[in-house]
Amino acid sequence: MTKQEFLTELRKNLNGLPKDEIEDRINFYEEMINDRMDEGKTEEQAVADIGTTDEAVRTIASQTKMSTLVKEKMKLKRSLTGWEILLIALAFPVWFPLLMTVLSLLFTAYIMTWVLVIVSFSVEAGLIAGAGGGIAAFVCSLIEGAPSLIAGGGALLCIGGACLFVLACIGATKVTLKISKSIFLGIKSKIIRGRN
Amino acid sequence: MDAQLKRGVLDVCVLAAIKNEDSYGYKIIKDLSPIVELSESTLYTILKRLETASMLVVRSTEFEGRLRKYYHITPRGLQRILDFKNEWKEIMDIYSFIGKED
Repeated sequence: MTKQEFLTELRKNLNGLPKDEIEDRINFYEEMINDRMDEGKTEEQAVADIGTTDEAVRTIASQTKMSTLVKEKMKLKRSLTGWEILLIALAFPVWFPLLMTVLSLLFTAYIMTWVLVIVSFSVEAGLIAGAGGGIAAFVCSLIEGAPSLIAGGGALLCIGGACLFVLACIGATKVTLKISKSIFLGIKSKIIRGRN
Repeated sequence: MDAQLKRGVLDVCVLAAIKNEDSYGYKIIKDLSPIVELSESTLYTILKRLETASMLVVRSTEFEGRLRKYYHITPRGLQRILDFKNEWKEIMDIYSFIGKED
């Protein structure tokens, strides 16, 4: 790949960033490639050293905060005219419920990714409660002079289950964290790429 | 290494690379390559962060018919290196204390 091809491709893939930041980054990469060529590397080698544009986008995504990207995206290209402000104000009953719906849908989607964690912790809580109840029932039956094997056995089963199930809880949390991290990274990369 | 820790350490590495004389992007990457692998995108982010924190200043100088950016450390940047060294002295003390236990 030539330097020009690389920079053109990169520019296309950073479309979602602010204009001056795109130029600044492009200049930075160009200087890096030029410096490598001055050192005696071929253009091809110098470009290959930099890595792919995909890698660049992913690194930028992982190092940029979601809030910064969203704020950039929400910025208006120009200020609104009086008429436009009036129109937005009048249309409030229309766009406000829509906005709320979209937000709550997004919120639901986010909660859904945590369902596995919520379920596994509920089961764990159930097991612990079962163990507590079983022990209490067993103690009561002891006091009454007729030890209940069902209560005692149930309590032991619940204790054992709770101990084992903790591992499932930890696993579910880890997996979910990993998934939501990669979803976040994907969304950020998408914002950085902008419209292609 | 822990991501947060690594970030702080990399910042100081870059400051150290421009401590004695002004340097430019590719030279910083080359100078640091024996101790840490730094990608272009990562270096860019670090340089921006340090510039925003006034720990370095940038000036563009003409070099063989094109512009090259040189990074110059500020007193605040030098102070950051000193602070880092002091912090690590504390950590090294803790480290040797932990080592004594075995």
